Amino acid sequence: MKNNNIDQLKKDYMNIAIPEELDFKIRKSLAEGKKTMNRQKHLNAIKTAAASAAVIAAVFTVSINTSEALALTLSEIPVINKIVKVLTFREYKINEDTYNADIKTPSIEGLENKELESSLNDKYMAENKILYEQFMSDVEDMKANNGGHLGIDSGYVVKTDTDKILSVGRYVVNTVGSSSTTFQYDTIDKENEILITLPSLFKDESYIDIISKNIKEQMIEQHEADEYKVYWVEGIEDASMAIFNEISDNQSFYISSENKLIISFDKYEVAPGYMGVIEFEIPSDILGDILISDEYIK
Amino acid sequence: MKFVRTRLKLEKHYEDFIIENKEKHYRIAYSYVKNADDALDIVQEAVFKAYVSLNTLKNPEYMKTWFYRILVNSSLDFLRKQKKIVTMDEENIAVYNDCFTDQYENIDLNHALDELPSDCRSIVILRFFEDLKIEEIAKILDENVNTVKTRLYKSLNKLRIQMND
Repeated sequence: MKNNNIDQLKKDYMNIAIPEELDFKIRKSLAEGKKTMNRQKHLNAIKTAAASAAVIAAVFTVSINTSEALALTLSEIPVINKIVKVLTFREYKINEDTYNADIKTPSIEGLENKELESSLNDKYMAENKILYEQFMSDVEDMKANNGGHLGIDSGYVVKTDTDKILSVGRYVVNTVGSSSTTFQYDTIDKENEILITLPSLFKDESYIDIISKNIKEQMIEQHEADEYKVYWVEGIEDASMAIFNEISDNQSFYISSENKLIISFDKYEVAPGYMGVIEFEIPSDILGDILISDEYIK
Repeated sequence: MKFVRTRLKLEKHYEDFIIENKEKHYRIAYSYVKNADDALDIVQEAVFKAYVSLNTLKNPEYMKTWFYRILVNSSLDFLRKQKKIVTMDEENIAVYNDCFTDQYENIDLNHALDELPSDCRSIVILRFFEDLKIEEIAKILDENVNTVKTRLYKSLNKLRIQMND
Protein backbone atom coordinates (compact mmCIF):
# COMPACT_ATOMS: atom_id res chain seq x y z
CA MET A 1 0.00 0.00 0.00
CA LYS A 2 2.65 2.42 1.09
CA ASN A 3 4.85 1.50 -1.84
CA ASN A 4 2.05 2.01 -4.29
CA ASN A 5 1.48 5.45 -2.95
CA ILE A 6 5.11 6.31 -3.24
CA ASP A 7 5.28 4.91 -6.76
CA GLN A 8 2.31 7.01 -7.79
CA LEU A 9 3.88 10.05 -6.19
CA LYS A 10 7.15 9.37 -7.89
CA LYS A 11 5.41 9.00 -11.22
CA ASP A 12 3.77 12.36 -10.78
CA TYR A 13 7.05 13.81 -9.75
CA MET A 14 8.89 12.41 -12.75
CA ASN A 15 6.15 13.79 -14.98
CA ILE A 16 6.94 17.35 -13.99
CA ALA A 17 7.40 18.98 -17.37
CA ILE A 18 10.90 20.20 -18.12
CA PRO A 19 10.85 23.62 -19.81
CA GLU A 20 12.73 23.84 -23.07
CA GLU A 21 14.80 26.77 -21.89
CA LEU A 22 16.20 24.85 -18.92
CA ASP A 23 19.36 23.77 -20.71
CA PHE A 24 20.02 27.24 -22.07
CA LYS A 25 19.46 28.89 -18.72
CA ILE A 26 21.65 26.43 -16.86
CA ARG A 27 24.49 26.95 -19.30
CA LYS A 28 24.09 30.68 -18.97
CA SER A 29 24.43 30.42 -15.20
CA LEU A 30 27.48 28.24 -15.56
CA ALA A 31 29.04 30.76 -17.93
CA GLU A 32 28.33 33.58 -15.50
CA GLY A 33 29.79 31.58 -12.64
CA LYS A 34 32.91 30.85 -14.64
CA LYS A 35 33.26 34.47 -15.67
CA THR A 36 33.00 35.64 -12.09
CA MET A 37 35.57 33.12 -10.97
CA ASN A 38 37.97 34.03 -13.77
CA ARG A 39 37.68 37.68 -12.87
CA GLN A 40 38.68 36.82 -9.33
CA LYS A 41 41.53 34.67 -10.50
CA HIS A 42 42.66 37.42 -12.81
CA LEU A 43 42.68 39.93 -9.98
CA ASN A 44 44.72 37.51 -7.89
CA ALA A 45 47.15 37.07 -10.75
CA ILE A 46 47.63 40.82 -11.08
CA LYS A 47 48.19 41.13 -7.35
CA THR A 48 50.72 38.32 -7.48
CA ALA A 49 52.60 39.84 -10.35
CA ALA A 50 52.68 43.26 -8.76
CA ALA A 51 53.91 41.87 -5.46
CA SER A 52 57.01 40.52 -7.05
CA ALA A 53 59.88 42.25 -8.74
CA ALA A 54 60.63 39.14 -10.71
CA VAL A 55 59.82 38.90 -14.35
CA ILE A 56 57.55 36.18 -15.57
CA ALA A 57 59.07 34.40 -18.49
CA ALA A 58 59.62 30.93 -19.75
CA VAL A 59 62.88 29.26 -18.88
CA PHE A 60 64.50 26.66 -21.00
CA THR A 61 67.51 24.83 -19.85
CA VAL A 62 69.27 21.67 -20.52
CA SER A 63 71.41 18.82 -18.95
CA ILE A 64 71.87 14.63 -17.26
CA ASN A 65 72.60 10.98 -18.15
CA THR A 66 73.23 7.29 -17.86
CA SER A 67 74.81 7.11 -14.41
CA GLU A 68 71.82 9.17 -13.34
CA ALA A 69 69.43 6.47 -14.44
CA LEU A 70 69.12 5.22 -10.90
CA ALA A 71 68.56 8.67 -9.58
CA LEU A 72 65.84 9.17 -12.14
CA THR A 73 64.07 5.99 -11.16
CA LEU A 74 64.14 7.00 -7.53
CA SER A 75 62.79 10.39 -8.38
CA GLU A 76 59.84 9.04 -10.26
CA ILE A 77 57.90 9.13 -7.06
CA PRO A 78 57.27 12.83 -6.96
CA VAL A 79 57.93 14.69 -3.79
CA ILE A 80 54.55 16.00 -2.93
CA ASN A 81 54.06 19.11 -0.94
CA LYS A 82 50.71 19.75 0.65
CA ILE A 83 49.62 22.35 -1.85
CA VAL A 84 51.55 22.41 -5.09
CA LYS A 85 52.04 19.02 -6.65
CA VAL A 86 53.66 17.43 -9.61
CA LEU A 87 51.84 14.47 -11.05
CA THR A 88 52.26 12.28 -14.06
CA PHE A 89 49.61 13.49 -16.38
CA ARG A 90 50.12 11.22 -19.32
CA GLU A 91 52.47 8.48 -20.28
CA TYR A 92 53.22 7.22 -23.75
CA LYS A 93 54.79 3.82 -23.93
CA ILE A 94 56.01 1.96 -26.94
CA ASN A 95 57.66 -1.42 -26.72
CA GLU A 96 58.51 -2.86 -30.10
CA ASP A 97 61.58 -5.06 -29.89
CA THR A 98 64.16 -2.49 -30.99
CA TYR A 99 62.05 0.60 -30.54
CA ASN A 100 61.30 1.71 -27.05
CA ALA A 101 59.70 4.86 -25.85
CA ASP A 102 58.60 5.93 -22.43
CA ILE A 103 57.43 9.49 -22.31
CA LYS A 104 55.93 10.78 -19.13
CA THR A 105 54.33 14.19 -19.05
CA PRO A 106 54.34 15.93 -15.72
CA SER A 107 51.52 18.14 -14.59
CA ILE A 108 51.84 20.80 -11.98
CA GLU A 109 48.75 21.11 -9.88
CA GLY A 110 47.50 23.25 -7.08
CA LEU A 111 48.74 26.69 -8.04
CA GLU A 112 46.24 29.49 -7.56
CA ASN A 113 47.82 31.21 -10.51
CA LYS A 114 46.12 29.16 -13.20
CA GLU A 115 47.74 31.10 -15.99
CA LEU A 116 51.15 30.03 -14.82
CA GLU A 117 49.99 26.51 -14.11
CA SER A 118 48.38 25.95 -17.47
CA SER A 119 51.17 27.69 -19.39
CA LEU A 120 53.64 25.24 -17.86
CA ASN A 121 51.41 22.23 -18.29
CA ASP A 122 50.54 23.16 -21.84
CA LYS A 123 54.23 23.54 -22.58
CA TYR A 124 54.94 20.09 -21.13
CA MET A 125 52.13 18.58 -23.16
CA ALA A 126 53.16 20.30 -26.38
CA GLU A 127 56.83 19.41 -26.01
CA ASN A 128 56.12 15.78 -25.27
CA LYS A 129 53.71 15.56 -28.16
CA ILE A 130 56.50 16.79 -30.43
CA LEU A 131 58.88 14.34 -28.79
CA TYR A 132 56.47 11.50 -29.40
CA GLU A 133 55.77 12.47 -32.99
CA GLN A 134 59.47 12.94 -33.70
CA PHE A 135 60.21 9.54 -32.24
CA MET A 136 57.50 7.88 -34.30
CA SER A 137 58.75 9.46 -37.50
CA ASP A 138 62.33 8.47 -36.63
CA VAL A 139 61.11 4.91 -36.15
CA GLU A 140 59.44 4.98 -39.56
CA ASP A 141 62.66 6.27 -41.15
CA MET A 142 64.70 3.60 -39.46
CA LYS A 143 62.32 0.84 -40.43
CA ALA A 144 62.53 2.03 -44.02
CA ASN A 145 66.33 1.83 -43.76
CA ASN A 146 66.86 -1.75 -42.61
CA GLY A 147 65.91 -1.11 -39.00
CA GLY A 148 67.98 -0.39 -35.95
CA HIS A 149 67.69 0.55 -32.34
CA LEU A 150 65.90 3.63 -31.14
CA GLY A 151 64.98 4.54 -27.65
CA ILE A 152 63.61 7.51 -25.90
CA ASP A 153 62.99 7.92 -22.22
CA SER A 154 61.49 11.10 -21.01
CA GLY A 155 60.18 12.00 -17.63
CA TYR A 156 60.70 14.35 -14.80
CA VAL A 157 62.34 14.70 -11.42
CA VAL A 158 61.38 16.99 -8.63
CA LYS A 159 64.72 18.52 -7.75
CA THR A 160 63.52 20.78 -5.00
CA ASP A 161 60.28 20.93 -3.12
CA THR A 162 60.34 23.20 -0.13
CA ASP A 163 57.68 25.51 1.24
CA LYS A 164 59.10 28.19 -0.99
CA ILE A 165 60.53 26.57 -4.09
CA LEU A 166 59.48 23.92 -6.55
CA SER A 167 62.06 22.91 -9.15
CA VAL A 168 60.97 20.38 -11.71
CA GLY A 169 63.46 18.99 -14.17
CA ARG A 170 62.33 17.24 -17.29
CA TYR A 171 64.79 14.94 -18.96
CA VAL A 172 65.00 13.38 -22.35
CA VAL A 173 67.33 10.47 -22.93
CA ASN A 174 67.78 9.68 -26.60
CA THR A 175 69.33 6.37 -27.41
CA VAL A 176 70.72 5.90 -30.89
CA GLY A 177 73.78 3.78 -30.30
CA SER A 178 75.08 6.07 -27.59
CA SER A 179 72.72 8.18 -25.64
CA SER A 180 72.31 11.86 -25.20
CA THR A 181 70.54 13.47 -22.35
CA THR A 182 68.99 16.85 -21.94
CA PHE A 183 67.43 18.45 -18.92
CA GLN A 184 65.09 21.37 -18.70
CA TYR A 185 64.12 22.91 -15.41
CA ASP A 186 61.26 25.05 -14.30
CA THR A 187 61.57 26.68 -10.94
CA ILE A 188 58.52 28.13 -9.31
CA ASP A 189 58.17 30.38 -6.30
CA LYS A 190 55.27 28.62 -4.59
CA GLU A 191 54.45 31.47 -2.28
CA ASN A 192 54.20 34.19 -4.87
CA GLU A 193 53.33 31.75 -7.63
CA ILE A 194 55.75 33.01 -10.21
CA LEU A 195 58.17 31.34 -12.52
CA ILE A 196 61.77 32.13 -11.61
CA THR A 197 64.11 32.74 -14.51
CA LEU A 198 67.85 33.08 -14.22
CA PRO A 199 67.94 36.73 -15.32
CA SER A 200 65.07 37.56 -12.96
CA LEU A 201 67.26 36.71 -9.98
CA PHE A 202 69.88 39.34 -10.74
CA LYS A 203 70.13 43.10 -10.88
CA ASP A 204 71.96 43.14 -14.19
CA GLU A 205 73.76 40.94 -16.69
CA SER A 206 77.00 40.81 -14.76
CA TYR A 207 75.85 37.48 -13.35
CA ILE A 208 76.85 35.80 -16.61
CA ASP A 209 80.54 36.73 -16.16
CA ILE A 210 80.61 36.06 -12.45
CA ILE A 211 78.99 32.63 -12.70
CA SER A 212 80.95 31.60 -15.80
CA LYS A 213 84.25 32.54 -14.16
CA ASN A 214 83.37 30.51 -11.08
CA ILE A 215 82.38 27.48 -13.14
CA LYS A 216 85.68 27.59 -15.04
CA GLU A 217 87.56 27.69 -11.76
CA GLN A 218 85.61 24.72 -10.48
CA MET A 219 86.24 22.80 -13.69
CA ILE A 220 89.97 23.32 -13.48
CA GLU A 221 90.06 22.56 -9.78
CA GLN A 222 88.25 19.28 -10.34
CA HIS A 223 90.55 18.37 -13.21
CA GLU A 224 93.63 19.06 -11.12
CA ALA A 225 92.29 16.83 -8.37
CA ASP A 226 91.27 14.09 -10.77
CA GLU A 227 92.79 14.04 -14.24
CA TYR A 228 89.92 11.96 -15.60
CA LYS A 229 87.54 14.80 -14.97
CA VAL A 230 87.78 16.59 -18.22
CA TYR A 231 85.94 19.68 -19.29
CA TRP A 232 86.07 21.43 -22.61
CA VAL A 233 87.49 24.59 -21.21
CA GLU A 234 90.60 26.68 -21.65
CA GLY A 235 93.23 25.56 -19.18
CA ILE A 236 92.38 21.90 -19.60
CA GLU A 237 91.97 21.60 -23.32
CA ASP A 238 93.69 23.62 -25.98
CA ALA A 239 91.88 26.55 -27.53
CA SER A 240 90.29 24.51 -30.30
CA MET A 241 88.46 22.33 -27.77
CA ALA A 242 87.65 25.13 -25.34
CA ILE A 243 83.96 24.97 -26.03
CA PHE A 244 82.75 26.37 -22.77
CA ASN A 245 83.24 30.07 -22.56
CA GLU A 246 80.28 31.38 -20.67
CA ILE A 247 76.83 30.34 -19.62
CA SER A 248 73.96 31.40 -21.81
CA ASP A 249 71.43 33.82 -20.46
CA ASN A 250 68.88 31.06 -20.30
CA GLN A 251 71.28 28.48 -18.93
CA SER A 252 69.71 25.46 -17.28
CA PHE A 253 69.52 26.00 -13.55
CA TYR A 254 67.58 25.19 -10.46
CA ILE A 255 67.58 26.24 -6.85
CA SER A 256 68.45 23.53 -4.37
CA SER A 257 66.63 22.94 -1.12
CA GLU A 258 69.65 24.53 0.58
CA ASN A 259 68.95 27.74 -1.32
CA LYS A 260 71.93 27.31 -3.60
CA LEU A 261 71.99 28.13 -7.26
CA ILE A 262 72.79 25.04 -9.31
CA ILE A 263 73.89 25.44 -12.91
CA SER A 264 73.35 22.38 -15.03
CA PHE A 265 74.88 21.27 -18.32
CA ASP A 266 73.60 18.58 -20.61
CA LYS A 267 75.64 15.60 -21.57
CA TYR A 268 78.16 16.69 -24.24
CA GLU A 269 77.46 20.35 -23.59
CA VAL A 270 80.75 21.17 -21.84
CA ALA A 271 82.45 17.83 -21.40
CA PRO A 272 82.96 14.41 -22.98
CA GLY A 273 79.99 12.04 -22.87
CA TYR A 274 81.36 9.92 -20.03
CA MET A 275 81.08 12.94 -17.77
CA GLY A 276 77.36 12.77 -18.20
CA VAL A 277 75.16 15.55 -17.04
CA ILE A 278 77.07 18.06 -15.01
CA GLU A 279 76.00 20.34 -12.24
CA PHE A 280 77.86 23.14 -10.52
CA GLU A 281 76.83 24.67 -7.26
CA ILE A 282 77.58 28.37 -7.33
CA PRO A 283 78.75 29.71 -3.96
CA SER A 284 76.14 32.15 -2.74
CA ASP A 285 78.73 34.58 -1.37
CA ILE A 286 80.00 35.49 -4.84
CA LEU A 287 76.43 36.29 -5.91
CA GLY A 288 75.46 38.38 -2.91
CA ASP A 289 76.12 41.76 -4.50
CA ILE A 290 74.20 41.15 -7.71
CA LEU A 291 71.18 39.27 -6.37
CA ILE A 292 67.96 41.24 -6.33
CA SER A 293 67.12 39.70 -2.98
CA ASP A 294 68.21 36.83 -0.80
CA GLU A 295 64.73 35.41 -0.92
CA TYR A 296 65.67 32.39 -3.01
CA ILE A 297 69.42 32.15 -2.86
CA LYS A 298 71.30 32.45 0.40
CA MET B 1 49.15 7.77 -6.83
CA LYS B 2 46.27 9.65 -5.37
CA PHE B 3 44.42 11.59 -7.93
CA VAL B 4 44.11 15.18 -6.93
CA ARG B 5 41.63 17.43 -8.58
CA THR B 6 42.69 20.90 -9.33
CA ARG B 7 40.41 23.83 -9.36
CA LEU B 8 40.06 23.59 -13.12
CA LYS B 9 39.22 19.94 -13.00
CA LEU B 10 36.79 20.66 -10.24
CA GLU B 11 35.09 23.32 -12.34
CA LYS B 12 34.83 20.94 -15.26
CA HIS B 13 33.53 18.25 -12.99
CA TYR B 14 30.97 20.66 -11.57
CA GLU B 15 29.83 21.81 -15.02
CA ASP B 16 29.38 18.24 -16.14
CA PHE B 17 27.48 17.40 -13.00
CA ILE B 18 25.14 20.37 -13.46
CA ILE B 19 24.46 19.69 -17.13
CA GLU B 20 23.91 16.02 -16.50
CA ASN B 21 21.52 16.51 -13.61
CA LYS B 22 19.72 19.66 -14.65
CA GLU B 23 16.33 17.97 -14.93
CA LYS B 24 16.59 16.46 -11.48
CA HIS B 25 17.51 19.82 -10.06
CA TYR B 26 14.65 21.46 -11.85
CA ARG B 27 12.18 18.95 -10.49
CA ILE B 28 13.37 19.47 -6.96
CA ALA B 29 12.99 23.23 -7.26
CA TYR B 30 9.63 22.81 -8.95
CA SER B 31 8.37 20.56 -6.22
CA TYR B 32 8.85 23.47 -3.83
CA VAL B 33 7.57 26.38 -5.84
CA LYS B 34 5.08 24.69 -8.20
CA ASN B 35 5.82 27.16 -10.91
CA ALA B 36 8.06 26.78 -13.95
CA ASP B 37 9.47 30.29 -14.04
CA ASP B 38 10.27 30.36 -10.36
CA ALA B 39 11.80 26.90 -10.52
CA LEU B 40 14.02 28.02 -13.41
CA ASP B 41 15.11 31.08 -11.45
CA ILE B 42 15.94 28.99 -8.43
CA VAL B 43 17.97 26.44 -10.35
CA GLN B 44 19.86 29.21 -12.13
CA GLU B 45 20.57 30.97 -8.89
CA ALA B 46 21.73 27.78 -7.21
CA VAL B 47 24.00 26.89 -10.15
CA PHE B 48 25.64 30.29 -10.02
CA LYS B 49 25.93 30.39 -6.23
CA ALA B 50 27.49 26.95 -6.14
CA TYR B 51 29.96 27.83 -8.88
CA VAL B 52 31.38 30.84 -7.08
CA SER B 53 31.60 28.92 -3.83
CA LEU B 54 33.19 25.78 -5.23
CA ASN B 55 36.05 26.35 -2.82
CA THR B 56 33.70 25.44 0.02
CA LEU B 57 33.40 21.98 -1.45
CA LYS B 58 36.11 20.16 0.45
CA ASN B 59 35.70 16.82 -1.22
CA PRO B 60 34.44 16.53 -4.81
CA GLU B 61 32.80 13.23 -3.89
CA TYR B 62 30.26 15.22 -1.90
CA MET B 63 29.33 17.40 -4.84
CA LYS B 64 25.84 15.97 -5.03
CA THR B 65 24.85 16.54 -1.39
CA TRP B 66 26.70 19.83 -1.37
CA PHE B 67 24.78 21.07 -4.39
CA TYR B 68 21.43 19.71 -3.22
CA ARG B 69 21.89 21.62 -0.02
CA ILE B 70 22.41 24.85 -1.94
CA LEU B 71 19.43 24.04 -4.17
CA VAL B 72 17.10 23.15 -1.31
CA ASN B 73 18.14 26.25 0.62
CA SER B 74 17.61 28.43 -2.45
CA SER B 75 14.14 26.95 -2.82
CA LEU B 76 13.28 27.53 0.82
CA ASP B 77 14.70 31.06 0.71
CA PHE B 78 12.58 31.74 -2.31
CA LEU B 79 9.47 30.46 -0.62
CA ARG B 80 10.21 32.54 2.42
CA LYS B 81 10.72 35.66 0.36
CA GLN B 82 7.62 35.09 -1.70
CA LYS B 83 5.67 34.12 1.39
CA LYS B 84 4.26 31.31 -0.63
CA ILE B 85 4.37 28.99 2.30
CA VAL B 86 0.80 28.57 3.41
CA THR B 87 1.64 30.14 6.72
CA MET B 88 4.91 30.10 8.57
CA ASP B 89 3.21 29.36 11.85
CA GLU B 90 1.53 26.29 10.61
CA GLU B 91 4.78 25.17 9.12
CA ASN B 92 6.75 25.69 12.28
CA ILE B 93 4.21 23.96 14.41
CA ALA B 94 4.23 21.06 12.03
CA VAL B 95 8.00 20.78 12.18
CA TYR B 96 7.93 20.79 15.96
CA ASN B 97 5.23 18.17 15.84
CA ASP B 98 7.39 16.08 13.55
CA CYS B 99 5.37 16.26 10.39
CA PHE B 100 1.89 16.03 11.79
CA THR B 101 -0.27 18.77 10.46
CA ASP B 102 -3.99 19.13 10.57
CA GLN B 103 -5.83 16.53 8.57
CA TYR B 104 -7.24 17.56 5.26
CA GLU B 105 -9.91 15.60 3.54
CA ASN B 106 -10.01 14.35 -0.04
CA ILE B 107 -6.64 15.46 -1.07
CA ASP B 108 -4.88 13.74 -3.95
CA LEU B 109 -1.37 12.46 -3.69
CA ASN B 110 0.32 15.51 -5.06
CA HIS B 111 -1.52 17.67 -2.68
CA ALA B 112 -0.83 15.31 0.14
CA LEU B 113 2.85 15.83 -0.49
CA ASP B 114 2.38 19.58 -0.63
CA GLU B 115 0.68 19.51 2.70
CA LEU B 116 3.80 18.20 4.32
CA PRO B 117 5.94 20.89 5.91
CA SER B 118 8.84 21.71 3.64
CA ASP B 119 11.42 19.85 5.70
CA CYS B 120 9.38 16.67 5.59
CA ARG B 121 8.62 17.19 1.93
CA SER B 122 12.33 17.55 1.19
CA ILE B 123 12.96 14.28 2.94
CA VAL B 124 10.33 12.40 0.96
CA ILE B 125 11.46 13.91 -2.34
CA LEU B 126 15.13 13.27 -1.77
CA ARG B 127 14.64 9.80 -0.36
CA PHE B 128 12.11 8.35 -2.75
CA PHE B 129 12.31 10.43 -5.90
CA GLU B 130 16.01 11.14 -5.93
CA ASP B 131 17.01 7.92 -4.20
CA LEU B 132 19.36 9.58 -1.78
CA LYS B 133 20.51 7.86 1.38
CA ILE B 134 19.22 8.99 4.75
CA GLU B 135 22.77 10.07 5.63
CA GLU B 136 22.98 12.20 2.51
CA ILE B 137 19.64 13.81 3.25
CA ALA B 138 20.74 14.55 6.79
CA LYS B 139 23.78 16.33 5.38
CA ILE B 140 21.74 18.31 2.88
CA LEU B 141 19.19 19.42 5.43
CA ASP B 142 21.74 19.84 8.19
CA GLU B 143 19.79 17.59 10.52
CA ASN B 144 20.89 14.53 12.37
CA VAL B 145 20.18 11.13 10.89
CA ASN B 146 17.65 10.16 13.53
CA THR B 147 15.60 13.29 13.00
CA VAL B 148 15.50 12.58 9.29
CA LYS B 149 14.46 8.98 9.91
CA THR B 150 11.71 10.00 12.29
CA ARG B 151 10.37 12.63 9.95
CA LEU B 152 10.47 10.30 6.99
CA TYR B 153 8.57 7.65 8.89
CA LYS B 154 5.98 10.11 10.09
CA SER B 155 5.66 11.70 6.66
CA LEU B 156 4.96 8.32 5.15
CA ASN B 157 2.41 7.61 7.80
CA LYS B 158 0.73 10.84 7.09
CA LEU B 159 0.72 10.27 3.36
CA ARG B 160 -0.82 6.86 3.81
CA ILE B 161 -3.35 8.15 6.26
CA GLN B 162 -4.46 10.75 3.78
CA MET B 163 -4.61 8.20 1.01
CA ASN B 164 -6.75 5.93 3.09
CA ASP B 165 -9.24 8.63 3.93
